Amino acid sequence: MQRKMTFLLRSEEEEVKDAGLTLDFDEMARKGVMSKEEKTIAKWYGIYSSRQAGNHMARVVTPGGVMTSAQARNIATLSEKYGQGVLNITTRQALQFHWLKLGGLPNLLRGLAEEASTTMHGCGDVTRNVAACPLAETCPYRRTNVLPWAQKLQKELGDAPDLDNLPRKFKITLSGCGAGCAQPYINCLGLVAVERQRNGKTEKGFQVIAGGGMGWDPYVGQQLFSFVPEHRVVDIARAVALTYRDTGDRFNRATSRLKVVVNLHGIDQVRAWVLEALTEEGKATDDLETAPFEETGKPYPDRPLSELDDLAGTDGKAVVRLLVPRGEVTHHQFRQVAELSEIYGNQRVYTNNRQNLEIHGVEPGQVLELKDKIQALGLGTEGFFGIRDIVPCVGTTYCPKAVTETRSLHDLLLPIVTQDKYKPVDKKVLINITGCPNSCSPYRIVDIGFRGMRIREEETGSVEGYEMLIGGDQKAFGLKLGEFKKTDCPEIVETVLDTFLKVRGADETLTQTVARLGLEPFQQAVFQ
Amino acid sequence: MKYQYQKAPNQWELSLFTGLGTTALDAKTLAKDVPCQAACPAQTDVPAYIDAIAKGDHAKAYRINLEDNVFPSVLGRVCTRPCETACRHNWTNVSGPVHICHLKRAGADHTPVLPPPLSPWFVPTQKRVAIVGGGPTGLTAARELVRYGHRVTLLEKENHLGGMMVDGIPRFRLPLDQVEREIDLIISSGIEVKLGQNVDAAAIRRLKDEYDAVLVATGTVKPKALDLAQGVSGLLPGLDFMRRYNQGQIEHLEGDVVVIGGGFTAVDCARACARAARRILGSDHNVTITYRRTEHHMAADLEELDEIRFEQIEVRTLATPLKVNTQDGAVVSVTFQRNKLSDKLGSDGKPAIEAIAGSTFDLPCTHLVVAIGQDADWSILPEDLRPEASPTVFTAGEFQTGSSDVIHCVADGKDAADRIDAFLTGQKRRTHHVTVDLVESRTQTGRTRDHDLQRTPAMPLLDLGARVDSTNEVALGHTDAAIQSHATRCYLCNYKFEIDQDKCIHCDWCIDVAPRACIKRTSRIFRDADGAPTDAIEATSAEKATFIYIDSNECIRCGKCQRACPTGAISMRKMERVACASEVSLHDLVAGARAEGKLPQNGWTPLRAKM
Repeated sequence: MQRKMTFLLRSEEEEVKDAGLTLDFDEMARKGVMSKEEKTIAKWYGIYSSRQAGNHMARVVTPGGVMTSAQARNIATLSEKYGQGVLNITTRQALQFHWLKLGGLPNLLRGLAEEASTTMHGCGDVTRNVAACPLAETCPYRRTNVLPWAQKLQKELGDAPDLDNLPRKFKITLSGCGAGCAQPYINCLGLVAVERQRNGKTEKGFQVIAGGGMGWDPYVGQQLFSFVPEHRVVDIARAVALTYRDTGDRFNRATSRLKVVVNLHGIDQVRAWVLEALTEEGKATDDLETAPFEETGKPYPDRPLSELDDLAGTDGKAVVRLLVPRGEVTHHQFRQVAELSEIYGNQRVYTNNRQNLEIHGVEPGQVLELKDKIQALGLGTEGFFGIRDIVPCVGTTYCPKAVTETRSLHDLLLPIVTQDKYKPVDKKVLINITGCPNSCSPYRIVDIGFRGMRIREEETGSVEGYEMLIGGDQKAFGLKLGEFKKTDCPEIVETVLDTFLKVRGADETLTQTVARLGLEPFQQAVFQ
Repeated sequence: MKYQYQKAPNQWELSLFTGLGTTALDAKTLAKDVPCQAACPAQTDVPAYIDAIAKGDHAKAYRINLEDNVFPSVLGRVCTRPCETACRHNWTNVSGPVHICHLKRAGADHTPVLPPPLSPWFVPTQKRVAIVGGGPTGLTAARELVRYGHRVTLLEKENHLGGMMVDGIPRFRLPLDQVEREIDLIISSGIEVKLGQNVDAAAIRRLKDEYDAVLVATGTVKPKALDLAQGVSGLLPGLDFMRRYNQGQIEHLEGDVVVIGGGFTAVDCARACARAARRILGSDHNVTITYRRTEHHMAADLEELDEIRFEQIEVRTLATPLKVNTQDGAVVSVTFQRNKLSDKLGSDGKPAIEAIAGSTFDLPCTHLVVAIGQDADWSILPEDLRPEASPTVFTAGEFQTGSSDVIHCVADGKDAADRIDAFLTGQKRRTHHVTVDLVESRTQTGRTRDHDLQRTPAMPLLDLGARVDSTNEVALGHTDAAIQSHATRCYLCNYKFEIDQDKCIHCDWCIDVAPRACIKRTSRIFRDADGAPTDAIEATSAEKATFIYIDSNECIRCGKCQRACPTGAISMRKMERVACASEVSLHDLVAGARAEGKLPQNGWTPLRAKM
């Protein structure tokens, strides 16, 4: 029997996708093995193979990072049953089970369905978990509540049969204002809520940003439209996804993301394709604008999430955030959080892109009481979106792609950054650590970013190391300070922070200082 | 300075990232990476011409072959194919090597109008060279010497040029018009030809005085005789037989024929006899080829052996002739003894023969063709005229090396031309180097794994009935679809994938996607004095891995590693063997051509050393 010869320049994944495989997890559980092809397609079901052979990860889709307390309890129970009681929060606000065995997968998926949760399209070449501002519902700076739009987009794009075979993943995020807490500039499609005055009326809409992305070749998203009416969001997102479906590279998966399409063909060409796609679907294009206009919303700070502690939201209620070290909670903690949200909050559990949890809708008078309970659980209540809120990806703990154990660097750095001398810059430095160039913890857009690598020695082997960037931002990525062995990193972070204390201007973040002074003072201090 | 770690040096197998590589390392890497080219005595740029054929540019393929091996159309039919033995597919795939030889022929068959003669490399020198012998060696040397700018006179004993290509190879393997058109192309570059010149020692002495240099390339003309039979009728030396057969003097042989020998001539003689004895038309007479070793050691490959049997020739191996039996001065049979092969090797590098006692048998025959090799006639070159004594006299080709084949003669002819030019001008005027070009193509080599794994069609062959006319070529040539299929099977080994250790983060993703054990975690790589890797210690853990290393012996150029690499550490570079008058002139040439837009601008920066 001959192999089917197609001579098509396409990746192996494309060949598997083309074969149209659908999976029966019960059957695979009975067989006890998953073929290479099944593993590829399992991603569409949200199942990924772990670093440890025979173990799997399942990613629950939580659009906007919101789940009901019932869902959270259910997830905690399933985690205890099938996933060694471990749950991880991702930087795109989803939840991950780990240590899943093939035999337990069908029951896990059925169990999730009981509370209308799903892992479907948690991974794979589809529209991924739609992210949104964690404070979408209550932030005082928001132009509009983007959470319903995130949930709507997840439904419309995630369930569309013609969008379930994209060249690669497609990531959407929605921000309630231009501060961009939901990171619109590093997603495939970033939607930023805007408002303006027209003919004496307030018009609400979105600025559409496309083609951002991290990874080895990072790109800042570019403006596709300056203003689209709020109700057109689904149309636009669908048209962008269709455009991406037809123009993305299906040969080389390293260059298949929308960011490459935008960079290769230019944003104007992509816009023309998007308008074409809209026209083909019989949708209007005359209300989509590209011209700049005056945004008339309330002025917002540079980093709202750093500034808002126990925020009193627009509803008069407080938001209490739970600092989750390393982004990992146990099933017990998660169940308790669900319960706390029922007692003190709005019966919902929220995740955010610093891999933390949130309880919303808390009576301001009950905040202290709730915090006590949270501390009793072993979770933090202070330091969100600050220097101690270090975000490591899962690293070699679970991920087959990582090259370093990011969590051990997290543990090495924590005692350094929590020293009293850094209190003044507590909210001015963010640290992200990622174990490979894929940047699951986006290391280029924060004040101090680490990317895992190995540093070879004199022909005797190699040791764990990190490329260290400082001064990153969504729109201007960090600058490379150097490549260091892991064991040297704490010392270097201390040197950088000490230098920052010395040279910073009033109220500056590290990124602002680097933007003003450049790398030089830091390089001098480190390498002296 | 703090945090400046002592790192093991980066690992490169070329002396520069992109540019003109002139070191021994570059030459070694090219030879290791492109085994077909290294195996070709004439160093034919095989991947380049196969790629041209795959892209439908047969004329370009022909030009590359013409430049490198002088007789593309001839060699596309009769080459001994050392390249195919070396082809990477032999050890990385189960469907055998790329049919390089057939592709060469395809390029020639699709080039009905030959290009003009190749242009000279240097301005005329007014030096005069006489070449004795118009066979492949002499013709090649003549062409190359003309390109060096010398004036060449070619002297040939017969009334036609071509030597063994015309006399020693039957027309059904190599049609005469194919040889003639390629000889004409060489001659038209301005070579004085004198036919019918029976050159002896005295004549060479005269040539030596008259010319600045004399090249003797008269080949092997003295057949080795079987001491068992002298002066018997019905006995024919193989070479004589083949010459007479090719000249149409032997149309019919009555009675059984035995051919002794296992070389090219023996096999050709047997196939010619099959036609002359009309066995293939159903006559009862037998044609038998006998050889003292096994089929494996015969000159014919398995494909040709199949054809030999198809032409109803009996093959008897492991038999040594003991006695030629005669009756009335004519051969009636040959007595053979069975033998076996010894574990030890004989002086010729092949297994020695051990007779099996009491195992004789007779093969009756009317004609006995003895094709057990031929020697050079050194009587035309007395001691005082030999190169050792006489610096203006040169020897080359089969005359010097003993009988070989066309491709070796071509290579030797080129070498002789280089030697003669160096002698005449007192300097080595042409050197070979390796150009290294960074290729940044979205489609990489343009090949997919499907191409590697194709099952390719066999060469279509002439019907048995039509083989009676011995001028009908047996191998008919591939169809266009088959050519495409064969050509796209080539891995394109002239592309080199390498990991920049300074960018590599040891994620091992390339190892995960690699189809073979071609990428290895290594702790240490051993290198020879030129810097070429000789061995490596594989690492058993991430901690012990100093390098992630692409073993180019195992690399099949699928490009998966480059697509998987998250850090862009893996580069794809194209290597090409180039000859140039001097490094400087080549650089000027390339830079000039780039400036004029004749060459692509794909990141090629002459001598931008990155290491």
